[in-house]
Amino acid sequence: MEKKLLVEDHIKRNKRLTVIVCTLMALLFMAVVLAFGFYFFGNIYIALIFAVPIALAYVTITYSISVQSILSAAKARPANPKIREEKLLIMRVEEMSIAAGLPMPKVYVQESDQINAFATGKNPKESVICTTTGALKLLNQEELEGVIAHEMSHIKNYDIRLATITIGVVGAIALISEIVFWSLLWGGRGRGRNDGNAIIMVLAILLIILAPIFARLTYLAISRRREYLADSTGAYLSRNPEGLAKALEKIKASVYNTKEKPKGSKTVAPLYIANPFKSMSAESAWSTHPPIDERIKRLRSM
Amino acid sequence: MLLIIGIVVIIIVVFFLLLYWGFYNRIIRMENRIDNSWAQIDVQLRRRAELIPNLMETVKGYMKHEKEVLENVTKARSALMSAKSPQENINADNMLTGALKSLFAVAENYPDLKANQNFLQLQDELTNTENKIAYSRQHFNDSVLAFNNTIETFPGMWFAKRMGKKTREMLQIPDAAREVPKVKF
Repeated sequence: MEKKLLVEDHIKRNKRLTVIVCTLMALLFMAVVLAFGFYFFGNIYIALIFAVPIALAYVTITYSISVQSILSAAKARPANPKIREEKLLIMRVEEMSIAAGLPMPKVYVQESDQINAFATGKNPKESVICTTTGALKLLNQEELEGVIAHEMSHIKNYDIRLATITIGVVGAIALISEIVFWSLLWGGRGRGRNDGNAIIMVLAILLIILAPIFARLTYLAISRRREYLADSTGAYLSRNPEGLAKALEKIKASVYNTKEKPKGSKTVAPLYIANPFKSMSAESAWSTHPPIDERIKRLRSM
Repeated sequence: MLLIIGIVVIIIVVFFLLLYWGFYNRIIRMENRIDNSWAQIDVQLRRRAELIPNLMETVKGYMKHEKEVLENVTKARSALMSAKSPQENINADNMLTGALKSLFAVAENYPDLKANQNFLQLQDELTNTENKIAYSRQHFNDSVLAFNNTIETFPGMWFAKRMGKKTREMLQIPDAAREVPKVKF
């Protein structure tokens, strides 16, 4: 009984921290919008008329990027039940979807010697789980189950939707920032500049220029938090944190030591269980994923 | 003055109506989840029972001398088919799980059998079914826990009382299911 409580504590903690970081992001966005309005119009409210549609448009466009394009970029194909390893994969996904109480996602496979997996899809009803052929060869069923539990958790927790919206907001902030930047460059005179409030103007400009960096850092913090959440939810679903821990140890060896170039665009990196584009030394505030050793440690403490 | 009081009262009433609406739906959905996962368990149990005759046909030729192990499986399956109460059901189910575990343990000694494609497929399917049974039960218990939590805590308990909802019982998986069966050689 004690072990179970610890996993649920992890889940609660991760969910709480997500709310905090998302609030930060929302506040940052609001600050940028108000600063933008102040700069151009000397009036913060008019900005909302412009900035909110920009943000909405950005989010809608990125949200409607089809699952198909992600799968094509990764060169993934549907799992073939005639191949035993892939049939076993389909079985494990089926079992995990029962544990999660979700409809069964489509199962895809990506040709790669690396061990990796990702999940994608707008909502649980139209979702996809994809693993690499390397994962099927190198992981045993317990470890594979751990990986699938992690991916299923991303679907269950609506992480894909969260990531898409957050990236949309980051993009909107970057876009607004660029508009201001170019206007500065061309020496345009925003009405706000004619007001005597020089200090506030400077602050507003500074905020807008720096905002994209903060937005990106916040997005990455959210991404890492959701990875921890997927780890703990996955452990709860499989009732076996050790499975994923063992898989992560094998992943540590495979992803970070191979010279193979990963396929697919960089934007899908956060959907993978381990970022296939980064080397281990690049883990920091700029990572989409928490350090693997820390993830293993937390899983083993559950 | 009267107008302000009136508006405040209306706002409070609307608030409680919305709350009632929210909790009503939530409680119903959780209950449906429980019933759904219960049905799931049944489906998987049936599936497993169906796979057994196939399995017996495949191993019969290879494991001619393992009479006891094979008989245990057949006996367990009959017990399951004739079980009447939920308790009988669970007991027979345990018996079958144990008997199958022994069968697969013994099959390790028959390399010809292990190489048989049919056998491999059936083994995979049975593992799949056993896992699905286990996870269906787990999901059932998770659903019951979520439901019980909602109707026992504040404010859900008010709405639950009005709806006449009572707490549900979780499935007790007897420890017998987790024992490693002893195989006699």
